[in-house]
Amino acid sequence: MANIISVKDLVEVYSDGTRAVDGISFDVKEGEFFGFLGPNGAGKSTTIKVLTTLLSKTAGQVTVAGIDLDRSPRDIRKVIGVVSQETSLDVDLTGRENLRLQARLQQLHGRAMEERVDELLRLVQLHEVANKLVGRYSGGMRKRLDLASSLVHHPRLLFLDEPTTGLDAQSRSAMWDYLEDLNRKEGITIFLTTQYLEEADKLCRELSIIDHGKIIARGSPSELKEALGGDTITLTLKDGADAALRSKTREILTTIKGVTKVIDGDGGVVAYAKNAGQIIAEIAASLDRSDIHPAFLSMSSPTLDDVFLQQTGRRIRAEELSRRETEPFLM
Amino acid sequence: MSLLYDVESLLERYLRKLVRNPTLLATNLVTPLLFLFLFSQLLQNLKVFPGVSGSYLEYLAPGIIILNAMVGATLSGVSVVNDLNSGFLSKMLLTQVSRPAILLGRMLTDVLVVLLQSVITIVVAVAMGVTIASGIPGVLVILVTVTFFELALSGIFLAIGMRSRKTETISAIGNVVFFPLIFVSSAMFPSSFFPVWAQDISKYNPVSYASNVARGLVQGGLSWSTLVSGYGVIAFIAIVTIAATLYQFRKVIS
Repeated sequence: MANIISVKDLVEVYSDGTRAVDGISFDVKEGEFFGFLGPNGAGKSTTIKVLTTLLSKTAGQVTVAGIDLDRSPRDIRKVIGVVSQETSLDVDLTGRENLRLQARLQQLHGRAMEERVDELLRLVQLHEVANKLVGRYSGGMRKRLDLASSLVHHPRLLFLDEPTTGLDAQSRSAMWDYLEDLNRKEGITIFLTTQYLEEADKLCRELSIIDHGKIIARGSPSELKEALGGDTITLTLKDGADAALRSKTREILTTIKGVTKVIDGDGGVVAYAKNAGQIIAEIAASLDRSDIHPAFLSMSSPTLDDVFLQQTGRRIRAEELSRRETEPFLM
Repeated sequence: MSLLYDVESLLERYLRKLVRNPTLLATNLVTPLLFLFLFSQLLQNLKVFPGVSGSYLEYLAPGIIILNAMVGATLSGVSVVNDLNSGFLSKMLLTQVSRPAILLGRMLTDVLVVLLQSVITIVVAVAMGVTIASGIPGVLVILVTVTFFELALSGIFLAIGMRSRKTETISAIGNVVFFPLIFVSSAMFPSSFFPVWAQDISKYNPVSYASNVARGLVQGGLSWSTLVSGYGVIAFIAIVTIAATLYQFRKVIS
């Protein structure tokens, strides 16, 4: 299928000199569920702001729905829907009034407008609280209303900037269901940014991992994980900061048959191996012979975090855990 | 066509917001009325200021009507700051809304608020015993004057609000700049009563020009020169502030 987004060498430099986006290129096919995964400050929101015409780019070429961003941002706005990171609703209006305003600003009139508003309120299951002030909505309800308001004009392409950040588990999985339905049943192309590994893994069929304004890996979640070369064996050392100890440990692991790759990380060493279960005993024994006693030895299927770790030497997970949760889900 | 529809949609939004935040509206309304009551009572023994005919209440009332324009002008600025910071403005800019409608909807809302405030002030003043010499046509001209003065002043707050993105800046300017401007003008006290330096300020103070127009209509005997110079000053301020507003707005939407 044709590309609905095409980005070539996009650069965004802020007035203070920060290179928020540092020369990225990617394409998104029509109908795709595409994701940008990366930690806070990686350049995800900046990219979305440029693609949705809210921020002018420093350099590069961007085409959205076949329309050149430089030539006609107005025409791009007609075919895209945007759910920004901060829920931007009017808290002094009811849910229905918010949607009606949005529909009117998108040039819907009369009966067609009222019908679309009703349809969307039912879609996000807010029809029963439609006449309550948004100020009384929970975080999850606001996010759903924001999603609905981005859909009033039947966009072909929906941008979502961290749509589940700050939501509790239940609201998050509800949001996932809506997005999957929109993509599958309505055929809407989705471009989503997230710092959540699980979200990227579950939803996105195509993924770019972004860090410090650069794309560091791309592919489908399963391709990315398979490229790591097998299962993950994490070995935490008592003195993980000791470079000599780490280096010795790496050396030992590399000699073991089946191990495809060994890198530093997680207060010790991370190894990748086919059939980790069959060699884990041998690893433990070899280390024991060399008088290395790991504090912790575990194996797991590779995650997208391992992909990130391998490229950057850091984990996204650490930042994910430190984020502040969450608002209760009220109905 | 789209412009009218968009202005109407946004006007509806702002009016709903006002109705749902009655304290904001009440505060705006109370300040001028409070001034009217307080000063007309406190200074009632100074029945006639030197060089002024009639009662002090009659002198004060037109100045208070003009004060409504100044109080109302801050509303636009606060609203645009809130919309900028909440992301609502970005959300509007992503729609097909006609860009001028965003400003026009807001300005029209404030005009309606200031008209309501001014009508209430006039009714209260009349109830307190003020007679408006120029009658109903005069009241209409007073309302037009207040409206234009408000529009001219609101441009200051729209421009500053879009630049600073802080409501604090707006209330600071409202207090630090506007109150001295009101007191050191002919709005509440005859300038002839002031020391020379204050007379000089009052002479060039736009608030004096607007007040003199309203006063001429309340007390009777509005001269063409007062009317023309009053509207001239208002038009001059309007051109400057609207230009500043459009300049800032273009920066925000691009």
